[in-house]
Amino acid sequence: MNQTLKKRGLRFYASIYFKIIAQDFKSKMSYRADFIISTLGMIMTNISGFIAFYIMFQNFETINGWNYYEMLFLYGFSLIALTPMQCLFDNNWNLRYKVYEGDFIKYCFRPINIFFYFISEVFDVKGLGQLLMGSLTLAYAWNKLSLPFTVGTAVLLVLALITGSLFMIAIMNLAAATCFWIINSGYVMVTMFKFTEYAKYPVTIYQGIFRVLFTFVIPIAFVAYYPSYIFLRSGVPILTCMSPLFGIFFFWVSYKVWMLGASKYAGTGN
Amino acid sequence: MKKKIWKYLSLLRVGVLEEMQFRLGAAVRLFGNIIYLIIIYFLWKAIFDSSPTEVVNGMTFTDTMIYLVLASALFSTMEMYVTWQMGRSVQSGNIVMDLLRPMGYTTYNLFVFSGNTLVSVFVNLIPTMIIVYLITSGGFALSWNLLFFMAAVFMGTILNFFINFFVGIICFYTESIWGINIMKEVVVMLLSGASIPLAFFPETLQRIVYYLPFQAIYNTPLTLLIDNHLSTTERLSMLGIQLFWLVIVGAVSQVFLRVSMKRITVNGG
Repeated sequence: MNQTLKKRGLRFYASIYFKIIAQDFKSKMSYRADFIISTLGMIMTNISGFIAFYIMFQNFETINGWNYYEMLFLYGFSLIALTPMQCLFDNNWNLRYKVYEGDFIKYCFRPINIFFYFISEVFDVKGLGQLLMGSLTLAYAWNKLSLPFTVGTAVLLVLALITGSLFMIAIMNLAAATCFWIINSGYVMVTMFKFTEYAKYPVTIYQGIFRVLFTFVIPIAFVAYYPSYIFLRSGVPILTCMSPLFGIFFFWVSYKVWMLGASKYAGTGN
Repeated sequence: MKKKIWKYLSLLRVGVLEEMQFRLGAAVRLFGNIIYLIIIYFLWKAIFDSSPTEVVNGMTFTDTMIYLVLASALFSTMEMYVTWQMGRSVQSGNIVMDLLRPMGYTTYNLFVFSGNTLVSVFVNLIPTMIIVYLITSGGFALSWNLLFFMAAVFMGTILNFFINFFVGIICFYTESIWGINIMKEVVVMLLSGASIPLAFFPETLQRIVYYLPFQAIYNTPLTLLIDNHLSTTERLSMLGIQLFWLVIVGAVSQVFLRVSMKRITVNGG
């Protein structure tokens, strides 16, 4: 299996990807009302998030030494870091239905990587609204904090955002993969997704064992806090420097667990 | 008459049994709730530690925590999947079977979903209340307020059902379940005071929110339970407002249902 994967280059997979995605767009366009309402729902979710954030800062000037604009920076950052998971990996939400109903078997019979094929099937356009709101927020906070914008910081920003996204994707990959082992994995996904909403707060608010928990076990601290630390404070913690490597590693682990579950399914299915 | 009551009680029983079936799901949900509460605790602790004063908008850290913990318990207790179910049954065509039952569509759903909630009251709400009471060593009074609280939870549950039911009928037209649901959830979550206590809202927004039905779901029971300074008249008028919304939303959803029944198209079945 690995042998054939290596022979097929990136170009092969890219061309396949766009072919599969095109099918998804065609089917989505036939439910136009659903698409518009879902997009509106997504926008409303973001707006209400902002209102909640605004209400909090009406009452309190700082949270744990972080001021309004710094928190806004983290907020915008986390929204952007969430986008790739939302847009590209949305099919994970359907995984458990496919596994229980037996439709998953179709993915096992294709001569391409199962994970790749499964994930390619859906591109969630609604996530782009989130990207837009996140970018505007980040730009606004960046401006208000009068941070320098150079080629160097731009490259760093892109790197930091990719890091945050990798953690986000990995968390949800693992949550989705639980459906290969347990029934009711819907709750696991919903719960994990709820936690990621709190990725926008600095991890320093947690004390003792819980900081360890949210740094290394459910690593929401790496979605926004550690990658964006480098822009907001001087003196870079070691975890910030290591975060891109951790991100790649964690993503790899989540991929392996997902594939392990899939192979187990292929073994027991009929 | 006796036969009629028995009919409704057996539906309630169906709802109870349905809920008891998913014990693992309940365990996962409990675990998720605990971690969620830990996050809330640290977040608000950090917020209050950063504030120069101990009392913000008339609430201390302990007050806020009692409010939020009970709000979250109440929220998961009353959480109903009415809208999802209605949307899905219209897509699959099963709604035809539901409508053929020798009982009103609303009544049937109301009793089954109330059965779900009843289980949650015993496995979720009451244990949480006991824990909160013990940890805060008397964070809320054990007096008449409990009676008002129970009445308010009862009416809040039915009001919540009707709001969900109303949104469920919208699904008949749109064929979009996720989008409609997420909109409803976001609006209810924010405007009911379930995520941030209403006392923290800016004044104008607070005034608007008090004119809407959503605060009657969670905020009314919680205020009746926690706030010791309310007079009996104030308490009764709060229940009155709840009843008002219950009747209004209930009536509107019934009219909406009747109109919609003439217009919907059902696929398959």
